[in-house]
Amino acid sequence: MTETAIEAAALTRRFGRRRTAALDGCAFRLPAGSVCAVVGPNGAGKSTLLSLAAGLLRPTEGAITVLGQAPAAVRERLAYVAQNKPLHPQLTVADTLRFGRELNPRRWDDRVAARIVAEGDLAPDARIRTLSGGQRTRVALALALGKRPELLLLDEPMADLDPLARHQLMAALMADAAEHGTTVVMSSHVVAELEGACDHLLLLGAGRVRLAGPLDDVLAAHRLVTGRADASLDPHTVVESRTTGRQVTALVRPEGALGDGWQSTAPTLEELVLAHLRTPEAPALHLDDAREAAV
Amino acid sequence: MTAVTTIETSTAATPARGPRGLLWAMLRLHRWALWFWVLLVAVGAGALLWAYGPGADAAWSEYRTLHCDTNDPGLGCDALGPAYNMYDTAVGIGAGLLGLAPFLTAAWAGAALIGRELEGGTAQLAWTQSVTPARWLAAKLAVPAALLTTGMLVLTLLHRTLWSADGQLRAAMGSRSWYQGTAFEANGIVGISYALLGLAVGVLAGLLQRRALPALGLAVVGLALITTVLGTLRPYLWPLETLTNKHEYPPYIGMVVDEGALTSTGARVGDPICVDDTKCLADHDIVGFYRDYHPSSHFWPLQLVETGIVLAVAALTVVIAFRLLKRRTGAAV
Amino acid sequence: MTTALSATAAPAARTPRGPRGLVWAVLRVHRTALVFGGLALAVATACLIWMYAIADDARRGNVPCAEPAHDGFPSCASVEAITVDNTYADGIDLLTAALSYVIFPVAAWAGGALIARDLESGTARLAWTQSVTPARWLAAKLAVPAVLLTAATGTVALLGVWARQDDDPNLVGDWYYPDVFISTGPTAVAYPLAGLALGALTGLLLRRALPATGAGFAAALVLYNVLERTRENLWPTVTRTEAGGFELPRSAWQMSWDGPTRATRAMYHPQSHFWPLQYVETGILLAVAAAATLTAFAVLRRRTP
Repeated sequence: MTETAIEAAALTRRFGRRRTAALDGCAFRLPAGSVCAVVGPNGAGKSTLLSLAAGLLRPTEGAITVLGQAPAAVRERLAYVAQNKPLHPQLTVADTLRFGRELNPRRWDDRVAARIVAEGDLAPDARIRTLSGGQRTRVALALALGKRPELLLLDEPMADLDPLARHQLMAALMADAAEHGTTVVMSSHVVAELEGACDHLLLLGAGRVRLAGPLDDVLAAHRLVTGRADASLDPHTVVESRTTGRQVTALVRPEGALGDGWQSTAPTLEELVLAHLRTPEAPALHLDDAREAAV
Repeated sequence: MTAVTTIETSTAATPARGPRGLLWAMLRLHRWALWFWVLLVAVGAGALLWAYGPGADAAWSEYRTLHCDTNDPGLGCDALGPAYNMYDTAVGIGAGLLGLAPFLTAAWAGAALIGRELEGGTAQLAWTQSVTPARWLAAKLAVPAALLTTGMLVLTLLHRTLWSADGQLRAAMGSRSWYQGTAFEANGIVGISYALLGLAVGVLAGLLQRRALPALGLAVVGLALITTVLGTLRPYLWPLETLTNKHEYPPYIGMVVDEGALTSTGARVGDPICVDDTKCLADHDIVGFYRDYHPSSHFWPLQLVETGIVLAVAALTVVIAFRLLKRRTGAAV
Repeated sequence: MTTALSATAAPAARTPRGPRGLVWAVLRVHRTALVFGGLALAVATACLIWMYAIADDARRGNVPCAEPAHDGFPSCASVEAITVDNTYADGIDLLTAALSYVIFPVAAWAGGALIARDLESGTARLAWTQSVTPARWLAAKLAVPAVLLTAATGTVALLGVWARQDDDPNLVGDWYYPDVFISTGPTAVAYPLAGLALGALTGLLLRRALPATGAGFAAALVLYNVLERTRENLWPTVTRTEAGGFELPRSAWQMSWDGPTRATRAMYHPQSHFWPLQYVETGILLAVAAAATLTAFAVLRRRTP
């Protein structure tokens, strides 16, 4: 198994003739075996990034390597679940699993797929078009995990699931990842549940990488500070600051010691993400030793 | 624990039989289309077989009842009787299916085979199930092509059998010559090649439009345009034979492509219709009449050349489809 | 208080012009079909006007002649040299065939794009939760295309009759040929309407776009062929029996002919039967359209609260 799961350099993707790119000069490096959360506002390019990593799209500029090679070359070793969980509506659940087995002859594990389907009490002869959104997600995940992938790319997988199913599937995913060392890249809006599961963070905004690196390191690099409104935060990088009356609350990346007038706490992941989403022009932070994009 | 045991038995209970891999996926996904094609071929074959047997017999007996084969034919021989109409309908169904197959194929290929999968994302599902886009497209082309060729071959062979047997009936009733309309396509390999062209055009339309219904429209209209153009080329695909005659037109045989009058210099001019007026003939310097035509011995050369052109267009369409797919997904074969 | 007044004043000042409500919705959603139909209508109109313009010349190219010219007949050379009658005949043929086949794409489109696609993708429910009852939705989906189709096919049919002028069968085909019969009377308008209704019914029954497209096309095919085979039975034929032989005029649509052993017996439709046959066939088509429409509404009512 290679050491780097995904590496992107100056990755750009434009659609049609629009002047704004869906992804614009992204660079990041994701180590193998990590569970990475991809977060960002709608339209930030999360789905585009996952499609590029899955070998479904071709970059307009730049390059992305997956498991050390071009995504197309490692098709068998990665699995991808799209946001709309596409499935053939006329097939039954059993037929869909057979579909996976027939198309992945060398890597298919029936037991894994069947277990995920059985946990949801799905009748094997039910047609996909009669299933609810959450049930379809379950079948789509079964197709992905049945492949025994080394890299699992999931585009908002938990969106349709009820809280219990979310909990169960998350647990199943994490257990599987831990057992086989699978790298999991998951985009999601439910930041709170990512915090316990993920150990790597990739935050996108307007097609660019804003935060990238191990979650603990990223969190440790930020402090949530409150102080008087007239105090200055100069040597430190301010991500976001809000003033109410005579008090200012700010999320900063401290460069050295904070002054006496400041109270600081460690931010939660949710506060970190929200602050970055609110201020799209904040400077980016890379803690993953990616090769910088050649500008 | 019971969950585990049921899973064990389920994997043990499904031994792999029959088609595997992409072939199984293709047949399972497009089951309806497969059965519809089988049904269509069965109906066409049935109609042609009936026409070969009972239909022809009924038409002949009606012909003889009206004394159309004697020197004193009744005036009713001008019109076609009900038995011959039935015969003609049956042959029309068989040959008509051969002619309609390319358009049905193009519509289905654009909409259901390719367009719907690109629209709904199930194409991408296949590509992330370890099937490269190029292999996926190849299977989408190969499996229908094989089934189309088989079905069209059956219908063509039956039509040829019928054709060789009912020559007298056709001559008597003055219908369908070897070069007219569906007869030409149904008696040789041209019909099969048009069906394959329809498949290729449909696939390309699906890749271009990426949505099912617009791809259907584009495929049908595109195929109609291409077949119209190729149809106008048909008489010129093989060198014509020329008959000349000094006093009147040469006999009217075969597929006439051009006719007119000849001057003393050998130039061809339009017929001024002088008929017997020698002064008129001298004025226009007419020394003979010509007729360019294809005798029936040109049937196979014309078939082969047209098939070659149609298959070349189909191959070009397929190449464009693969390039388009590669450009979109960046995947090597 | 002033804010309330200005709030009511503002919306009144910006009423858009043109079709409103459901009519606008149907036209906008099916814009591609509207444009395509408009183009087809424009092309057909232009061609028919051209046909009318060359009609006189075409008739001059289709007269009896003698070579050399004498007895009042023109010279055959000059008549043969007129090729515009071929252009005229081919053009009229093509437009007649096109008009008589309109039912097929209409039925396929009505099944797939008009009805089933909305049901399959859920955009029908989008309309129903935008304060449009399902019955009103279906009524608009049927009425707007029906009105436009009637106007378009009616125009083309009338222009066709105008361009045909005296209906010389050598130039424009005999009145009983299937294409000619359909295109020169009210059936030209009724066939596409029946296709629209049948397509909509298949769309409601199958609720999936591609099967509905195929089924709509198949239903139109069945209707067209059944009517073609039974057309001669729609009105009682005329039987003429005479001793000795006789010939029917070309304008007679011959069904059967018997003889001439001792007497000749012919069954046929004279040209005067054109309008009765048209009315009966139009009636059948409109009845099919009405039945399909009523069934469609019944299916819709049963499926939705």
